[in-house]
Amino acid sequence: MLTEEKKREILDRLKNGVIQYDEDAVREAAQEAVEFGMDANEAIFEGLVSGMEEVGRLFEEQEYFVPELLMCADALYAGLDILKPHVKKMDLGVKGSVVIGTVEGDVHDIGKNIVKMMFDVAGFTVYDLGRDVPLDKFVEEQLRTDSDLVCLSAMMTTTMVGMQKVIEKLKQKNPDVKIMIGGAPVSKELADKWGADGYAPDANNALKEAINMISSLRKMRQEAEANRIEGR
Amino acid sequence: MAVSTISSKERILRLFRGEEIDRVPCFSGMGNITTEGLNQLGYRFATVHLDAKKMAESAATTPKFFGFESAVVPFDLTVEAEALGCEINVYAHSEDILYPTIKEKIIHNEEEMEIEISKDLLQKGRIQLVKEAIKLLQEEIGGEYAVGTYVLGPFTLAGQIMELNELLKLSFKKPDKVGRLLDLLADVIVMVAKEYESAGVDYITVREMGATSDVLSPRVFKSLILPYLQKVFRELKGNTVLHICGKTNDIVGFMMESGTKAISVDQKNDISETRKKLGRDALIFGNYDPYNVLVRGDTELVRSTIGRCIEEGVSAVWPGCDIWPTVPPENMKAMMDEITNYGG
Repeated sequence: MLTEEKKREILDRLKNGVIQYDEDAVREAAQEAVEFGMDANEAIFEGLVSGMEEVGRLFEEQEYFVPELLMCADALYAGLDILKPHVKKMDLGVKGSVVIGTVEGDVHDIGKNIVKMMFDVAGFTVYDLGRDVPLDKFVEEQLRTDSDLVCLSAMMTTTMVGMQKVIEKLKQKNPDVKIMIGGAPVSKELADKWGADGYAPDANNALKEAINMISSLRKMRQEAEANRIEGR
Repeated sequence: MAVSTISSKERILRLFRGEEIDRVPCFSGMGNITTEGLNQLGYRFATVHLDAKKMAESAATTPKFFGFESAVVPFDLTVEAEALGCEINVYAHSEDILYPTIKEKIIHNEEEMEIEISKDLLQKGRIQLVKEAIKLLQEEIGGEYAVGTYVLGPFTLAGQIMELNELLKLSFKKPDKVGRLLDLLADVIVMVAKEYESAGVDYITVREMGATSDVLSPRVFKSLILPYLQKVFRELKGNTVLHICGKTNDIVGFMMESGTKAISVDQKNDISETRKKLGRDALIFGNYDPYNVLVRGDTELVRSTIGRCIEEGVSAVWPGCDIWPTVPPENMKAMMDEITNYGG
């Protein structure tokens, strides 16, 4: 039986497993969560995401660097793969599909993958175009999938300028689409100038932005849950 | 303002020898061709990577047009990786400025890390082409200006030939295994750099930006990156610069311990701090932002930034990365004017 105590224990193991990049521990805890019939959303948000929030803090404080971050992400995915099939659809008013990729000329995709991870967690449908993606491909894919969000990433100044063109074309074809840009050379000023809706200049900020987004989802979930209980 | 009596080349060589000079030099160890130069020659960017003559001619335009004090070849970061067997993409179709990248890596996972270096490595890819371009540059402008080239550092080269995710994780999980790869790549880098030295290059920059503190901890830098940089610099007898961009304040001491003659850092480095830490004789090159200042700024911002670099104590005014080709000519002129007037 899933006692409150057992639930707490599983959530702690999920959380700590992510922080300590222990894929096996996370896998085991996720498996147990499923066996005990725990709410998969709760396991994801209160366990895995809560761990990732702590990782974000450690990264910001320079306790953790990119290698650790990548290993934590692997641990998170190890849990997510097990829990996701058991997620009951959440109605949070977010439709949620996103086109994401690194622009042509740029083969760096770590920042992009971190942002993608948080979309995966949030239950978005993610159309990942990968790296070195020709500019027109972003526009085509957005139209094909009718996604509400497009995320463009560039690690190098030398490729960043391509983003401006994609933003123009996307806005022309679909004024409602939201566009996020990210990567080392990106600044708030450039994002504003080019008409992007959001930006994240580095992995740290990308992670922070993504966690912020997921944290607000988490809050919405908790509120929805509280309302449900009250309404009973 | 004193009229300078020495050439740019002499000024830069004296700087490396630690001798007195009339003013701070303004040069770079990374790519610095401009669209202005390419347009005058009528060359498309995608074509200048594959032809020694075009490469040298393009590189020579920056000193010729603007008085910038060095010319540098190549312009992309794939030369060594290509020689090691990676396929590259020069984006031949593109009218835009896209730098060549690696299309296919040769190491995809841990199992593929045991690679062997071909005996005729120096005949592969574009190494001889770059060497030829260095010779052409020395003939054409080498009397007046310094001619530079660059190679990647072992870790950054590893990131070019191997899936970066895997490399980063293994740097943490299996540092010994990554160390063996870096050791081998240090040999490759020494071979390539010596080949360039034999062509008469004036200085070589080793670009190890993959090991910036934005990515790796200073602790890992010391244990895993530094030993192989030391191996490289032990072998190179000419003028050397170690370049790392991004956060570097916590590793500038290690950068100096690598055995390089000079270090190069970008706009994220606090130069006053670095100068304090490394002392007055250390050669510290930097650290203006080549995009947000030189390309996007106005001449006022360019002048004030160059002034700031000099005031904070750089040994040479030098960009944080490659100079982005679309730099407005008036900004290049403003930079050089500021240096010749106030660099003393």
